[in-house]
Amino acid sequence: MTQERFISLVRAEQEPLRRFLLALCCGDAALADDIAQDALVRAYVASGSFLGLSKFSTWLFRIAYNCYIDHCRKAKPEQTSVDDALEIPAAESSDSAFRYQQLYRAMDRLPEKEKASISLFYFEDRSIKEIAAILGIPQGTVKYHLSMGRTHLKQHIQL
Amino acid sequence: MNEIDEFLRANKPAVHDDPTFLLETRRRLEAVEGIKAEVDRQRSRGRLALVFALAIGLAVGVLATAIAFLYPMDAASAGQGLWDSIRLFLTTWKQYLLLPVAILAIAFGLVLSRGSRSAVRL
Repeated sequence: MTQERFISLVRAEQEPLRRFLLALCCGDAALADDIAQDALVRAYVASGSFLGLSKFSTWLFRIAYNCYIDHCRKAKPEQTSVDDALEIPAAESSDSAFRYQQLYRAMDRLPEKEKASISLFYFEDRSIKEIAAILGIPQGTVKYHLSMGRTHLKQHIQL
Repeated sequence: MNEIDEFLRANKPAVHDDPTFLLETRRRLEAVEGIKAEVDRQRSRGRLALVFALAIGLAVGVLATAIAFLYPMDAASAGQGLWDSIRLFLTTWKQYLLLPVAILAIAFGLVLSRGSRSAVRL
């Protein structure tokens, strides 16, 4: 895959990819973008192995998720609190800022697979089949993670 | 569960429009291309060194065999002194003594090419 072709494919996917990682990083936009860049480099290096058996975005999201997991394993000892890291859009009203804060705090308490399943299903509107392909788990397990994620979020978010 | 569904759908994380993101991606991909080119250059240099070492080894081997056949040593005509004994030994066994030289040349070529590959990996 040529660099120009890769960039043109990434241009269409960059916003969903960054949003997915932003949700996984619980609002830390700088970290999310850093992981996204890392994922894009890895994807470019491995682009020769992309056979087109799945959608490009599914393949890219899978690489990004693996990068995020790698980052979590490396960064475990020096975890920062969500309050320090989260970045609420400046244009947001205090009401929606509060909702984002609530959302990110609740997301931070979820296990990684639940967080990823919730992010992909609700924020990226991905099907269960696609989520299963991205996370590398069976569809039934995705449904289980979604159900558990919703239950856990309900405990932490005031509606 | 409908409430939490609605809450999540209504509060998708907002991503800032960042024009520098793709520029940074492009810059990193250029760097990857640079590394790829350097790895290819090192590999071809290693291959060249290997071919060169094989050619040298072959030439030395052919030369050693040719000398052995062109100048056969008559053992009876050799003197009895120490120097003559050494000369006799070297002349008799020269093809076998030159063989390790050729093998060493090939081994040197192989080590050289492997060394440059591991340097690239680092």
